Amino acid sequence: MRPRRSLTSNCILNLLVAISALILTFPLVWIVMMSLKQQAQVMTWPPTFLFRPTLENFRVLFDIAEAGATSYGTIKVDFLTPITNSVVIALGSVVISLLAGVPAGYVLARRDIPLKEDIAFFILGFRFAPVLLVVMPLFSIFQTIGLYDTFFGMIWVYQVVTLPMIVWLSRSYIEDLPKDIEEAAAIDGAMPVQIVLHIVLPLLKPGLIGASLLIFLLAWHNFALGLILSSTKAPVTVALLKLLNPGVQFYPVMAAGLVVTMIVPVILIVIGQRHLERGLTFGAVK
Amino acid sequence: MANVRLEGVKKAYGTIEILRNIDLTIDHGEFVVFVGPSGSGKSTLLRMIGGLERISGGRLLIDNEVVNNVDAADRNLGMVFQSYALYPHMTVRENFAFPLRMAKMARAEIKTRVAETSSLLQIDHLLDRKPRQLSGGQRQRVAIGRAIVRQPKVFLFDEPLSNLDTELRVQMRVQIAKLHKQLGNTMIYVTHDQIEAMTMADKIVVLKDGNIEQVGSPHDLYHNPASRFVAGFIGSPKMNFLDGHVEAAHEGGMDVKLEAGATVSVPVQPDQRLVGKPITLGIRPDDFSQSPAQETDIAIELDVDFVEHLGSVTYIYGNAGKQTVVAKAPKPAPPKGSGKLRLAVSPADCHLFTSNGRALRRLRAPADWS
Repeated sequence: MRPRRSLTSNCILNLLVAISALILTFPLVWIVMMSLKQQAQVMTWPPTFLFRPTLENFRVLFDIAEAGATSYGTIKVDFLTPITNSVVIALGSVVISLLAGVPAGYVLARRDIPLKEDIAFFILGFRFAPVLLVVMPLFSIFQTIGLYDTFFGMIWVYQVVTLPMIVWLSRSYIEDLPKDIEEAAAIDGAMPVQIVLHIVLPLLKPGLIGASLLIFLLAWHNFALGLILSSTKAPVTVALLKLLNPGVQFYPVMAAGLVVTMIVPVILIVIGQRHLERGLTFGAVK
Repeated sequence: MANVRLEGVKKAYGTIEILRNIDLTIDHGEFVVFVGPSGSGKSTLLRMIGGLERISGGRLLIDNEVVNNVDAADRNLGMVFQSYALYPHMTVRENFAFPLRMAKMARAEIKTRVAETSSLLQIDHLLDRKPRQLSGGQRQRVAIGRAIVRQPKVFLFDEPLSNLDTELRVQMRVQIAKLHKQLGNTMIYVTHDQIEAMTMADKIVVLKDGNIEQVGSPHDLYHNPASRFVAGFIGSPKMNFLDGHVEAAHEGGMDVKLEAGATVSVPVQPDQRLVGKPITLGIRPDDFSQSPAQETDIAIELDVDFVEHLGSVTYIYGNAGKQTVVAKAPKPAPPKGSGKLRLAVSPADCHLFTSNGRALRRLRAPADWS
């Protein structure tokens, strides 16, 4: 049994939880409020918490036809293009990482190959370096070989962010699968490829969905790679920055953009969570 | 259905030798049990036959064909793992069908085979369950079913019962023995439990430190152990070992003077070279009786320490001189507490082991049970 707490300590603990929740949600609430305000209301001091919400900022964000004609100055956003770009790049990165990373993780988990730990550490090493370190030399290389501002090039370079994660996560998931199951399949007449297709992948599914969500978010939030290696194919993170131009700052439109940017991963996580069955391997081995 | 032959089979990881020069023939239809303490290499040997471990040296033949470099998938074996190793994402039906699907069998044939196997093991009602919805005993039966459904040449069992509770273990032991009778396949069974070995095997292979210590029928191993190790390993409670030295060797056997005092004339193959050397006398706890039936019987004085009543039998733990002795209490009156007790043993029931653990051949061992 848990020790009973006194009323006072209970109150204090609840208060602390409430305060930390407030601190955590404040920026989010602030951004959502800002996205529903008008330009003039945003900059007032003291800030207003009671106002007539407007969806005007979201209209501006996605409106291509009337671009430039807003109530508060010239602006051309067309936010749909960066969202599409981000979806293509992030999804593409996840798919490529899964295709390349899961087999790599399998080999690192199961096979005896020379320098195994060194290879694994080398792959992880990409996560140590700041992304900008890779970007600078890549900028000129990409321009020379024609990969600058292409989906292909972007997805390729995003592997720096996503691939090491998939390799390491799938390696540890595979290590958690009992080896007996694979050996049983081998005795039952399955070839190595069949073992992976019929036994290993189905068992890895929940883990891989979780890992894919995680690396999708990593790709979605990446900023430096898109900033330097793309222009028309720029992802949302870069498009948001463009709203902060030196003349007028379109804070409410930018806030609307942020809200949209946040919503996509939230939707994905809500959908993905249902697939995250737990304890699928229970019952296989004692 | 097949025979299995090992010729000088070796296993080494780098410089560490796990198995040394294993020579063994397993005949068609035989139930062979590999038994030994942990680390003796019995599981490794089984896994090498199954194709899950590489063979470092020697030859392995299944059905008179060398299979050293044949993949596990192509050896046509069935194996039951200690952990069951069921496919958790498949139902029992799919678990059964998997080896058949891998063999590219027609759908109708798969259906018949699955039905046959499940009724043989009486698990028809479980076919649509996933492994996690089964009890330990049911999982064990599914694992056996998956191994037999393909009708393989040889069945391998790797300590299949060690995760079950005692009652279930006895049940499954009987069921596996019955199954062997029904199917008549060659079966190789690994266990560290000598009772399983004694009850199920046609032939027991005792392994120790990567060597075969003795191969023989359960009866043989019990009555004619080749070494002190086998004598101590087979039989429960363990054989008692009393130290002494050889006084004389003559045609009828060897005279041994025990440290505890008594002198015994044991009917074994005499060896003059051992006269004056230290020797170990082995007596099974079951071979003690209350009073000497014949003049030649050895009397042993026991300081009783502890009495263990098991219902049908009672075991007495005590000391004879400096040595601990376990004896089955003679009927009808088992002693209650501590005190002194005089027990007798017929010299014909005694075993002798030299100082390097080798057994001297007994001249009057009981005839085979069968």
